[in-house]
Amino acid sequence: MTLTSATDVAVRADGVVLRYGRTTALDGVSLSLGTGVTGLLGPNGAGKTTLLRVIATAVRPDAGSVSTFGHDALRGPGRLAVRRRLGYLPQDPGFHPSFTAFEFVDYVAILKELTSRSARHAEVRRVLALVGLDSVRTKRIRALSGGMRQRVALAAALVGDPALLILDEPTVGLDPEQRMRFRELFADLGEDRAVLLSTHQTEDVMSLCREVVVLDQGRVLFTGTPTDLAGLAAGRVWTSDSRVPGALASWRTGSGAYRHVGDPPPGAPLLDPTIEDGYLTLVDLHTAEAQR
Amino acid sequence: MSTWHVPDDDLRSYAGRGLGPPLLWSTETHLFSCSWCRSRLASLVPVDDGWARLDAALDAPRPGPVERLLVAVGVPDHTARLLTATPALRLSWLIAVTVTLALTALLAKAFTPVVFLGVAPLLTLVGVAVSFGPGVDPTYELTVTSPVHAFRLLLLRCVAVLSANTLLCAAATAFVPDYGLTIAGWFLPSLALTVTTLLLSPSLGPVWAAVLVGSAWVMTITWAGMVPFTTVGQLSLFAAVAVLSVLLARRAALFDVLSPRRLR
Repeated sequence: MTLTSATDVAVRADGVVLRYGRTTALDGVSLSLGTGVTGLLGPNGAGKTTLLRVIATAVRPDAGSVSTFGHDALRGPGRLAVRRRLGYLPQDPGFHPSFTAFEFVDYVAILKELTSRSARHAEVRRVLALVGLDSVRTKRIRALSGGMRQRVALAAALVGDPALLILDEPTVGLDPEQRMRFRELFADLGEDRAVLLSTHQTEDVMSLCREVVVLDQGRVLFTGTPTDLAGLAAGRVWTSDSRVPGALASWRTGSGAYRHVGDPPPGAPLLDPTIEDGYLTLVDLHTAEAQR
Repeated sequence: MSTWHVPDDDLRSYAGRGLGPPLLWSTETHLFSCSWCRSRLASLVPVDDGWARLDAALDAPRPGPVERLLVAVGVPDHTARLLTATPALRLSWLIAVTVTLALTALLAKAFTPVVFLGVAPLLTLVGVAVSFGPGVDPTYELTVTSPVHAFRLLLLRCVAVLSANTLLCAAATAFVPDYGLTIAGWFLPSLALTVTTLLLSPSLGPVWAAVLVGSAWVMTITWAGMVPFTTVGQLSLFAAVAVLSVLLARRAALFDVLSPRRLR
């Protein structure tokens, strides 16, 4: 299922299969991405990072095709054209620890073919300012906190104003205020480019994403809007005064009442589902289906 | 007080660093003593420009000694920066290689040239192995997905490591003049080991490829002694380097993506 109109498509993956030995990491993944922020959700080991690597041209799949901005992203000049318009934040961004923040982003800018020294340095300053790191740009990366390093890596991804941004769990290690700043930034970036955001933060997806893709065991389980995903749990979220065994998820809220996700007993007072409820319901249904 | 003042155009040129001697000198001397011209200079040049220039000067990366040397010999500054991220081109590494070569040269002088001829290619091999690849280059994944061809960068770094080691080895051979040209026999083995390691690294990763190739070299030297450094041995190595280089060129595309096997 795709929500993106044909004219708006930045990335189109079709039947992507990738195996690591006997493990099938991606099992016929097809999806389309357009302008705006698309969220990628899924449990650990679902294949999210592998899919991002395929779209980022880091890994070539065993089967299937990926077309980005109309180019064949898997080989030859098409892949090079994609790389020239790509910003990629890997899950574990590596750093040369002796570099300063400025030096690291400058190094990535060289990798992105910005060879003119003055233009490159101006770009480095621009992206460091964008992520709020002007004041620490001359500090060594080894002296920066985890959150600041993540911002340095994001600044590196933003070098060259890429038309496609692929971000693998960019808000890991950030405090709530930093996450809010990142949300603002991602929302701005998604105004005029395609942003693919892998995350475990369902609230990030709800507040940012135009579309959401849920992946599990290498397969696309869902493609739609965050509201549609939340809607999957409609009629399956209810409240009670005590714990109910057998519910998919059950926890006591701050008000003292219990919130349950799963099949409600007759007459139970229903609650509005969140995207997290929808996600839980979807993954549970898929797991039950797979076990049958 | 002087009645002459610096014309506006000259002040603008001065602010934009476009004024050359001798006008530059007379302008500076005049500005030192004339507050009116100094205030005109301030009004002609936006303050932000000055801050921007100061920022640029303060936070621009300061090249280290190796990077400065590379730029001095004509390597473009951006290429020099890519090269100096190579661990095997850091000053500390080069010092370690120099000390090792000096020691082996002394041992070669006292005992047998095999010590020097066997160790020198291993130093190059290790230098190349730690230069690029998953697990050794922290920015490897970013490099692979960047428009700079990963294979081109790999070759650039290999050439840089080989060049640095060649210079150091050549200097070290000055300590053992008794062996004549034979002492230069380390060069072709260096090339052969390096190219073989590169060929194996997409499958094994650079470190394990280097360990395998290095171990094979140590066994060869242990059993064959000086044979690789005879005329026949060197010709065989030359032929091997030629064949392996062709194979490597054909496998260049493997370096432009991550190997799924290495990601498991």
